[in-house]
Amino acid sequence: MPNKFYLEIITPEKTFYRGDVESIQIPAVGGDCMIMAGHQPMVFATQPGMIAITTDGQRREAFMSEGFIEVRPDATIAFSQAVEWPEDIDERRAEEAKERAEEMVRRNRSAAEYRLNRIALQRAFARLRVKHHEYGDKS
Amino acid sequence: MADITAIRHRIKSINDTHQITKAMELISVSKMRKMMNKQAYSSLYFDSVRYTVKDILRHSPDVRNKYTMRRSGGRAAYVVIAGDKGLAGSFNNNILNLAWKHMQDYPVHYVITIGQMARAFFESKKQPVDLEFTHAVTNPTLHDARGIVRDILDLYDKNLMDEVFVVFTHMHSSSNYAPEIVKLLPIEEQDIRAEVNTTYSGDIYYDPSPREVLDVLVPQYLIGMIYTTLIHSASSEHAARMVAMTSANKNAEKMLETLNLEYNRLRQGAITSELLDLTSGKFFYESTVRRGHKKE
Repeated sequence: MPNKFYLEIITPEKTFYRGDVESIQIPAVGGDCMIMAGHQPMVFATQPGMIAITTDGQRREAFMSEGFIEVRPDATIAFSQAVEWPEDIDERRAEEAKERAEEMVRRNRSAAEYRLNRIALQRAFARLRVKHHEYGDKS
Repeated sequence: MADITAIRHRIKSINDTHQITKAMELISVSKMRKMMNKQAYSSLYFDSVRYTVKDILRHSPDVRNKYTMRRSGGRAAYVVIAGDKGLAGSFNNNILNLAWKHMQDYPVHYVITIGQMARAFFESKKQPVDLEFTHAVTNPTLHDARGIVRDILDLYDKNLMDEVFVVFTHMHSSSNYAPEIVKLLPIEEQDIRAEVNTTYSGDIYYDPSPREVLDVLVPQYLIGMIYTTLIHSASSEHAARMVAMTSANKNAEKMLETLNLEYNRLRQGAITSELLDLTSGKFFYESTVRRGHKKE
Protein backbone atom coordinates (compact mmCIF):
# COMPACT_ATOMS: atom_id res chain seq x y z
CA MET A 1 0.00 0.00 0.00
CA PRO A 2 1.63 3.22 -1.11
CA ASN A 3 1.88 6.18 1.22
CA LYS A 4 -0.73 8.88 0.89
CA PHE A 5 -0.60 12.61 1.33
CA TYR A 6 -3.22 15.28 1.75
CA LEU A 7 -4.08 17.19 -1.42
CA GLU A 8 -6.22 20.26 -1.94
CA ILE A 9 -6.98 21.89 -5.28
CA ILE A 10 -8.31 25.40 -4.93
CA THR A 11 -9.71 27.85 -7.46
CA PRO A 12 -10.94 31.38 -6.65
CA GLU A 13 -14.52 30.13 -6.85
CA LYS A 14 -14.45 26.81 -5.09
CA THR A 15 -12.42 24.01 -3.60
CA PHE A 16 -12.14 21.56 -6.45
CA TYR A 17 -10.60 18.60 -4.66
CA ARG A 18 -9.80 17.69 -1.09
CA GLY A 19 -8.58 14.37 0.17
CA ASP A 20 -5.74 11.90 0.62
CA VAL A 21 -4.10 10.76 -2.58
CA GLU A 22 -1.21 8.56 -3.62
CA SER A 23 0.16 10.78 -6.33
CA ILE A 24 -0.58 13.71 -8.55
CA GLN A 25 0.89 14.38 -11.94
CA ILE A 26 1.20 18.04 -12.83
CA PRO A 27 2.10 20.04 -15.94
CA ALA A 28 4.93 22.06 -14.38
CA VAL A 29 6.61 24.78 -16.43
CA GLY A 30 9.80 22.76 -16.41
CA GLY A 31 8.04 19.63 -17.66
CA ASP A 32 5.50 17.15 -16.31
CA CYS A 33 6.15 16.03 -12.74
CA MET A 34 4.72 13.40 -10.47
CA ILE A 35 4.40 14.27 -6.80
CA MET A 36 4.21 11.52 -4.24
CA ALA A 37 4.12 11.42 -0.47
CA GLY A 38 7.22 12.70 1.29
CA HIS A 39 8.18 15.13 -1.47
CA GLN A 40 10.58 17.91 -0.65
CA PRO A 41 8.82 21.24 0.18
CA MET A 42 8.61 23.07 -3.10
CA VAL A 43 6.56 25.44 -5.19
CA PHE A 44 5.95 24.51 -8.83
CA ALA A 45 4.68 26.88 -11.46
CA THR A 46 2.36 25.11 -13.85
CA GLN A 47 1.19 25.74 -17.38
CA PRO A 48 -2.27 24.86 -18.71
CA GLY A 49 -2.46 21.11 -19.06
CA MET A 50 -3.66 17.85 -17.67
CA ILE A 51 -3.38 16.74 -14.08
CA ALA A 52 -3.85 13.15 -13.00
CA ILE A 53 -4.75 12.22 -9.45
CA THR A 54 -4.28 8.66 -8.25
CA THR A 55 -6.12 7.35 -5.21
CA ASP A 56 -6.32 3.66 -4.31
CA GLY A 57 -4.99 2.70 -7.70
CA GLN A 58 -7.69 4.73 -9.45
CA ARG A 59 -6.40 7.39 -11.82
CA ARG A 60 -8.53 10.44 -12.60
CA GLU A 61 -7.62 13.11 -15.06
CA ALA A 62 -8.66 16.76 -15.10
CA PHE A 63 -7.83 19.96 -16.86
CA MET A 64 -5.90 22.59 -14.95
CA SER A 65 -5.20 26.12 -16.13
CA GLU A 66 -1.98 27.97 -15.28
CA GLY A 67 -1.25 28.27 -11.61
CA PHE A 68 1.09 26.93 -9.00
CA ILE A 69 1.39 24.04 -6.61
CA GLU A 70 2.74 24.28 -3.13
CA VAL A 71 4.17 21.13 -1.63
CA ARG A 72 4.45 21.33 2.14
CA PRO A 73 5.25 18.59 4.62
CA ASP A 74 1.66 18.52 5.90
CA ALA A 75 -0.28 19.18 2.73
CA THR A 76 0.01 19.79 -0.95
CA ILE A 77 -2.10 22.60 -2.28
CA ALA A 78 -2.67 23.37 -5.94
CA PHE A 79 -3.88 26.81 -6.94
CA SER A 80 -5.29 27.50 -10.35
CA GLN A 81 -7.86 29.82 -11.87
CA ALA A 82 -9.71 26.95 -13.50
CA VAL A 83 -9.78 23.23 -12.86
CA GLU A 84 -12.34 21.02 -14.57
CA TRP A 85 -13.23 17.35 -14.74
CA PRO A 86 -13.53 16.05 -18.32
CA GLU A 87 -17.33 15.87 -18.05
CA ASP A 88 -17.50 19.55 -17.10
CA ILE A 89 -15.45 20.78 -20.03
CA ASP A 90 -17.49 22.59 -22.63
CA GLU A 91 -16.02 21.15 -25.79
CA ARG A 92 -17.59 23.62 -28.16
CA ARG A 93 -16.35 26.55 -26.12
CA ALA A 94 -12.85 25.12 -26.00
CA GLU A 95 -12.94 24.53 -29.76
CA GLU A 96 -14.03 28.11 -30.35
CA ALA A 97 -11.38 29.42 -27.99
CA LYS A 98 -8.79 27.40 -29.87
CA GLU A 99 -9.78 28.86 -33.21
CA ARG A 100 -9.87 32.36 -31.80
CA ALA A 101 -6.44 31.95 -30.23
CA GLU A 102 -4.98 30.46 -33.41
CA GLU A 103 -6.27 33.41 -35.38
CA MET A 104 -4.77 35.83 -32.86
CA VAL A 105 -1.43 34.05 -32.85
CA ARG A 106 -1.38 34.26 -36.64
CA ARG A 107 -1.92 38.00 -36.51
CA ASN A 108 0.73 38.25 -33.83
CA ARG A 109 0.87 41.95 -33.12
CA SER A 110 3.15 42.41 -30.13
CA ALA A 111 5.29 40.23 -27.95
CA ALA A 112 2.99 40.63 -24.97
CA GLU A 113 -0.04 39.72 -27.04
CA TYR A 114 1.76 36.77 -28.49
CA ARG A 115 2.43 35.44 -25.00
CA LEU A 116 -1.19 35.91 -23.94
CA ASN A 117 -2.51 34.22 -27.04
CA ARG A 118 -0.09 31.38 -26.75
CA ILE A 119 -1.30 30.69 -23.23
CA ALA A 120 -4.91 30.89 -24.40
CA LEU A 121 -4.15 28.42 -27.15
CA GLN A 122 -2.40 26.14 -24.72
CA ARG A 123 -5.43 26.27 -22.44
CA ALA A 124 -7.79 25.35 -25.26
CA PHE A 125 -5.59 22.47 -26.40
CA ALA A 126 -5.28 21.12 -22.89
CA ARG A 127 -9.06 21.22 -22.37
CA LEU A 128 -9.66 19.34 -25.62
CA ARG A 129 -6.97 16.81 -24.84
CA VAL A 130 -8.42 16.02 -21.42
CA LYS A 131 -11.91 15.78 -22.88
CA HIS A 132 -10.89 13.38 -25.63
CA HIS A 133 -8.78 11.28 -23.32
CA GLU A 134 -11.92 10.57 -21.35
CA TYR A 135 -13.80 9.38 -24.40
CA GLY A 136 -10.87 7.26 -25.48
CA ASP A 137 -10.93 5.37 -22.18
CA LYS A 138 -14.61 4.54 -22.46
CA SER A 139 -14.73 3.18 -25.99
CA MET B 1 -62.27 68.03 4.98
CA ALA B 2 -59.53 68.89 2.47
CA ASP B 3 -57.04 68.13 5.21
CA ILE B 4 -58.22 64.60 5.60
CA THR B 5 -57.79 63.74 1.92
CA ALA B 6 -54.36 65.37 1.89
CA ILE B 7 -53.29 63.22 4.81
CA ARG B 8 -54.74 60.13 3.19
CA HIS B 9 -52.66 60.89 0.10
CA ARG B 10 -49.51 61.32 2.13
CA ILE B 11 -50.10 58.08 3.98
CA LYS B 12 -50.49 56.25 0.71
CA SER B 13 -47.36 57.70 -0.86
CA ILE B 14 -45.27 57.03 2.25
CA ASN B 15 -46.60 53.50 2.31
CA ASP B 16 -45.49 53.00 -1.29
CA THR B 17 -42.00 54.34 -0.60
CA HIS B 18 -41.83 52.21 2.51
CA GLN B 19 -42.54 49.13 0.45
CA ILE B 20 -39.78 50.00 -1.99
CA THR B 21 -37.19 50.64 0.71
CA LYS B 22 -38.20 47.44 2.45
CA ALA B 23 -37.67 45.45 -0.74
CA MET B 24 -34.33 47.17 -1.34
CA GLU B 25 -33.20 46.31 2.14
CA LEU B 26 -34.01 42.64 1.65
CA ILE B 27 -32.27 42.58 -1.71
CA SER B 28 -29.17 44.22 -0.25
CA VAL B 29 -29.05 41.69 2.56
CA SER B 30 -29.15 38.72 0.23
CA LYS B 31 -26.69 40.25 -2.24
CA MET B 32 -24.30 41.10 0.53
CA ARG B 33 -24.42 37.52 1.80
CA LYS B 34 -23.69 36.21 -1.69
CA MET B 35 -20.75 38.57 -2.09
CA MET B 36 -19.32 37.65 1.29
CA ASN B 37 -19.49 33.99 0.34
CA LYS B 38 -17.64 34.69 -2.85
CA GLN B 39 -15.10 36.67 -0.90
CA ALA B 40 -14.47 33.80 1.48
CA TYR B 41 -13.63 31.45 -1.39
CA SER B 42 -11.52 33.88 -3.30
CA SER B 43 -9.55 35.05 -0.29
CA LEU B 44 -8.48 31.47 0.37
CA TYR B 45 -6.94 31.43 -3.08
CA PHE B 46 -5.56 34.92 -3.42
CA ASP B 47 -4.15 35.12 0.09
CA SER B 48 -1.92 32.20 -0.82
CA VAL B 49 -0.90 33.88 -4.06
CA ARG B 50 -0.05 37.03 -2.13
CA TYR B 51 1.85 35.09 0.47
CA THR B 52 3.92 33.23 -2.09
CA VAL B 53 4.75 36.41 -4.01
CA LYS B 54 5.80 38.02 -0.77
CA ASP B 55 7.89 35.03 0.16
CA ILE B 56 9.74 35.09 -3.14
CA LEU B 57 10.34 38.82 -2.93
CA ARG B 58 11.65 38.51 0.59
CA HIS B 59 13.89 35.51 0.18
CA SER B 60 15.21 36.07 -3.31
CA PRO B 61 16.12 39.75 -3.49
CA ASP B 62 17.78 39.29 -6.87
CA VAL B 63 14.68 37.86 -8.51
CA ARG B 64 12.72 40.63 -10.12
CA ASN B 65 10.00 41.06 -12.64
CA LYS B 66 9.24 44.17 -14.64
CA TYR B 67 6.20 44.77 -12.46
CA THR B 68 8.20 44.73 -9.25
CA MET B 69 10.67 47.38 -10.39
CA ARG B 70 10.20 50.82 -8.98
CA ARG B 71 10.03 53.56 -11.59
CA SER B 72 11.14 57.07 -10.88
CA GLY B 73 8.79 59.92 -11.63
CA GLY B 74 5.58 60.88 -9.96
CA ARG B 75 2.98 59.84 -12.48
CA ALA B 76 0.19 57.98 -10.78
CA ALA B 77 -2.88 56.21 -12.02
CA TYR B 78 -5.93 55.69 -9.89
CA VAL B 79 -8.39 52.87 -10.21
CA VAL B 80 -11.43 54.18 -8.38
CA ILE B 81 -14.09 51.63 -7.54
CA ALA B 82 -17.48 53.08 -6.59
CA GLY B 83 -21.05 51.93 -7.07
CA ASP B 84 -23.34 52.02 -10.07
CA LYS B 85 -26.21 53.44 -8.07
CA GLY B 86 -26.77 55.89 -5.26
CA LEU B 87 -29.12 55.31 -2.34
CA ALA B 88 -26.36 53.81 -0.27
CA GLY B 89 -25.79 56.46 2.36
CA SER B 90 -22.36 58.04 2.21
CA PHE B 91 -20.74 55.03 0.54
CA ASN B 92 -19.99 56.68 -2.81
CA ASN B 93 -19.11 60.05 -1.28
CA ASN B 94 -16.58 58.61 1.14
CA ILE B 95 -14.68 56.68 -1.48
CA LEU B 96 -14.71 59.44 -4.09
CA ASN B 97 -13.61 62.13 -1.69
CA LEU B 98 -10.74 60.02 -0.46
CA ALA B 99 -9.59 59.41 -4.02
CA TRP B 100 -9.92 63.09 -4.86
CA LYS B 101 -7.89 64.17 -1.84
CA HIS B 102 -5.11 61.66 -2.53
CA MET B 103 -4.94 62.73 -6.15
CA GLN B 104 -4.11 66.31 -5.33
CA ASP B 105 -0.63 65.19 -4.22
CA TYR B 106 0.21 63.95 -7.69
CA PRO B 107 0.35 66.63 -10.38
CA VAL B 108 0.19 64.08 -13.19
CA HIS B 109 -2.44 61.47 -12.75
CA TYR B 110 -4.68 59.23 -14.72
CA VAL B 111 -8.11 58.21 -13.61
CA ILE B 112 -9.64 54.82 -14.29
CA THR B 113 -13.16 54.50 -13.00
CA ILE B 114 -15.18 51.42 -12.24
CA GLY B 115 -18.86 52.17 -11.68
CA GLN B 116 -21.21 54.88 -12.93
CA MET B 117 -21.05 57.01 -9.79
CA ALA B 118 -17.28 57.33 -10.00
CA ARG B 119 -17.45 58.53 -13.59
CA ALA B 120 -20.20 61.04 -12.80
CA PHE B 121 -18.17 62.38 -9.88
CA PHE B 122 -15.02 63.04 -11.89
CA GLU B 123 -17.02 64.56 -14.70
CA SER B 124 -18.56 67.03 -12.30
CA LYS B 125 -15.08 67.88 -11.01
CA LYS B 126 -13.88 68.47 -14.59
CA GLN B 127 -11.33 65.69 -14.25
CA PRO B 128 -11.08 63.76 -17.50
CA VAL B 129 -11.59 60.04 -17.10
CA ASP B 130 -9.04 58.04 -19.06
CA LEU B 131 -10.59 54.62 -18.91
CA GLU B 132 -13.88 53.42 -17.56
CA PHE B 133 -15.49 50.11 -16.76
CA THR B 134 -19.19 50.19 -16.04
CA HIS B 135 -20.28 46.59 -15.97
CA ALA B 136 -17.96 45.12 -13.35
CA VAL B 137 -19.52 46.55 -10.20
CA THR B 138 -22.79 44.79 -9.55
CA ASN B 139 -21.57 41.26 -9.99
CA PRO B 140 -17.79 41.10 -10.34
CA THR B 141 -16.41 38.01 -12.03
CA LEU B 142 -12.89 36.78 -12.59
CA HIS B 143 -13.41 37.48 -16.25
CA ASP B 144 -14.06 41.17 -15.53
CA ALA B 145 -10.99 41.31 -13.31
CA ARG B 146 -8.86 39.76 -16.06
CA GLY B 147 -10.06 42.34 -18.58
CA ILE B 148 -9.39 45.23 -16.23
CA VAL B 149 -5.89 43.98 -15.39
CA ARG B 150 -5.09 43.52 -19.07
CA ASP B 151 -6.10 47.08 -19.89
CA ILE B 152 -4.20 48.54 -16.96
CA LEU B 153 -1.05 46.57 -17.82
CA ASP B 154 -1.38 47.80 -21.38
CA LEU B 155 -1.12 51.39 -20.19
CA TYR B 156 1.59 50.53 -17.69
CA ASP B 157 3.67 48.76 -20.34
CA LYS B 158 3.48 51.83 -22.55
CA ASN B 159 5.25 53.65 -19.72
CA LEU B 160 2.47 56.14 -19.16
CA MET B 161 2.55 55.89 -15.39
CA ASP B 162 4.91 55.00 -12.56
CA GLU B 163 2.49 53.87 -9.90
CA VAL B 164 -1.02 52.49 -9.88
CA PHE B 165 -3.29 52.87 -6.88
CA VAL B 166 -6.59 51.19 -6.27
CA VAL B 167 -9.16 53.13 -4.26
CA PHE B 168 -11.82 50.83 -2.88
CA THR B 169 -13.95 50.18 0.17
CA HIS B 170 -12.52 47.54 2.43
CA MET B 171 -15.08 45.34 4.11
CA HIS B 172 -13.96 44.28 7.57
CA SER B 173 -17.37 43.04 8.64
CA SER B 174 -20.96 43.65 7.67
CA SER B 175 -21.09 46.74 9.89
CA ASN B 176 -17.52 47.91 9.49
CA TYR B 177 -16.23 49.07 6.12
CA ALA B 178 -13.98 51.96 5.23
CA PRO B 179 -12.47 53.45 2.08
CA GLU B 180 -8.87 52.51 1.50
CA ILE B 181 -6.04 53.08 -0.98
CA VAL B 182 -3.68 50.26 -1.92
CA LYS B 183 -0.80 50.26 -4.34
CA LEU B 184 -1.23 47.83 -7.20
CA LEU B 185 1.91 48.53 -9.18
CA PRO B 186 4.81 48.28 -8.81
CA ILE B 187 4.57 45.26 -6.53
CA GLU B 188 6.63 45.80 -3.40
CA GLU B 189 7.08 43.50 -0.49
CA GLN B 190 5.97 45.95 2.19
CA ASP B 191 2.69 46.63 0.38
CA ILE B 192 1.63 43.02 0.33
CA ARG B 193 -0.65 42.13 3.14
CA ALA B 194 -0.57 38.40 3.53
CA GLU B 195 -2.51 36.97 6.41
CA VAL B 196 -1.81 33.33 5.72
CA ASN B 197 -0.04 31.51 8.52
CA THR B 198 1.70 28.65 6.87
CA THR B 199 2.49 25.74 9.09
CA TYR B 200 5.80 25.30 7.38
CA SER B 201 8.44 27.95 7.86
CA GLY B 202 11.54 26.32 6.39
CA ASP B 203 13.06 27.10 3.04
CA ILE B 204 10.95 26.31 0.05
CA TYR B 205 12.44 25.47 -3.32
CA TYR B 206 10.93 26.91 -6.42
CA ASP B 207 10.64 24.92 -9.58
CA PRO B 208 11.92 25.60 -12.19
CA SER B 209 13.24 28.80 -10.56
CA PRO B 210 11.89 31.57 -8.33
CA ARG B 211 11.93 33.88 -11.32
CA GLU B 212 9.67 31.66 -13.38
CA VAL B 213 7.30 31.03 -10.51
CA LEU B 214 7.13 34.77 -9.98
CA ASP B 215 6.37 35.30 -13.67
CA VAL B 216 3.39 32.98 -13.36
CA LEU B 217 2.28 34.48 -10.08
CA VAL B 218 2.45 38.17 -10.92
CA PRO B 219 -0.55 38.18 -13.31
CA GLN B 220 -2.45 36.02 -10.82
CA TYR B 221 -1.56 38.44 -8.08
CA LEU B 222 -2.79 41.44 -10.05
CA ILE B 223 -6.01 39.73 -11.08
CA GLY B 224 -6.51 38.70 -7.49
CA MET B 225 -5.99 42.23 -6.23
CA ILE B 226 -8.55 43.66 -8.65
CA TYR B 227 -11.00 40.83 -8.05
CA THR B 228 -10.85 41.09 -4.27
CA THR B 229 -11.13 44.87 -4.29
CA LEU B 230 -14.14 44.61 -6.61
CA ILE B 231 -15.78 42.11 -4.33
CA HIS B 232 -14.98 44.13 -1.22
CA SER B 233 -16.48 47.21 -2.83
CA ALA B 234 -19.58 45.39 -3.96
CA SER B 235 -20.28 43.87 -0.57
CA SER B 236 -19.58 47.18 1.17
CA GLU B 237 -21.98 48.89 -1.19
CA HIS B 238 -24.70 46.42 -0.33
CA ALA B 239 -23.93 46.75 3.37
CA ALA B 240 -24.11 50.54 3.14
CA ARG B 241 -27.37 50.35 1.22
CA MET B 242 -28.75 47.95 3.76
CA VAL B 243 -28.02 50.39 6.59
CA ALA B 244 -29.43 53.33 4.62
CA MET B 245 -32.59 51.41 3.82
CA THR B 246 -33.04 50.25 7.40
CA SER B 247 -33.02 53.84 8.61
CA ALA B 248 -35.34 54.84 5.75
CA ASN B 249 -37.72 52.11 6.87
CA LYS B 250 -37.60 53.33 10.44
CA ASN B 251 -38.31 56.89 9.37
CA ALA B 252 -41.20 55.78 7.21
CA GLU B 253 -42.67 53.82 10.07
CA LYS B 254 -42.39 56.77 12.41
CA MET B 255 -44.00 59.10 9.89
CA LEU B 256 -46.78 56.65 9.21
CA GLU B 257 -47.49 56.39 12.90
CA THR B 258 -47.87 60.15 13.45
CA LEU B 259 -49.83 60.56 10.24
CA ASN B 260 -52.18 57.75 11.14
CA LEU B 261 -52.76 59.30 14.53
CA GLU B 262 -53.49 62.64 12.92
CA TYR B 263 -55.74 61.01 10.36
CA ASN B 264 -57.73 59.16 12.99
CA ARG B 265 -58.10 62.28 15.09
CA LEU B 266 -59.41 64.24 12.13
CA ARG B 267 -61.70 61.44 11.09
CA GLN B 268 -63.10 61.16 14.60
CA GLY B 269 -63.53 64.92 14.75
CA ALA B 270 -65.43 64.81 11.48
CA ILE B 271 -67.66 62.02 12.75
CA THR B 272 -68.31 63.84 16.00
CA SER B 273 -69.25 67.04 14.27
CA GLU B 274 -71.49 65.13 11.89
CA LEU B 275 -73.19 63.43 14.82
CA LEU B 276 -73.52 66.79 16.49
CA ASP B 277 -75.17 68.15 13.36
CA LEU B 278 -77.54 65.21 13.21
CA THR B 279 -78.55 65.30 16.85
CA SER B 280 -78.94 69.05 16.92
CA GLY B 281 -80.98 68.80 13.74
CA LYS B 282 -83.11 66.15 15.36
CA PHE B 283 -83.57 68.22 18.48
CA PHE B 284 -84.47 71.21 16.39
CA TYR B 285 -86.94 69.18 14.34
CA GLU B 286 -88.49 67.58 17.35
CA SER B 287 -88.85 70.83 19.18
CA THR B 288 -90.44 72.57 16.16
CA VAL B 289 -92.73 69.63 15.50
CA ARG B 290 -93.76 69.58 19.14
CA ARG B 291 -94.27 73.30 19.07
CA GLY B 292 -96.36 72.99 15.93
CA HIS B 293 -98.39 70.30 17.62
CA LYS B 294 -99.09 72.56 20.52
CA LYS B 295 -100.20 75.29 18.17
CA GLU B 296 -102.78 73.11 16.54
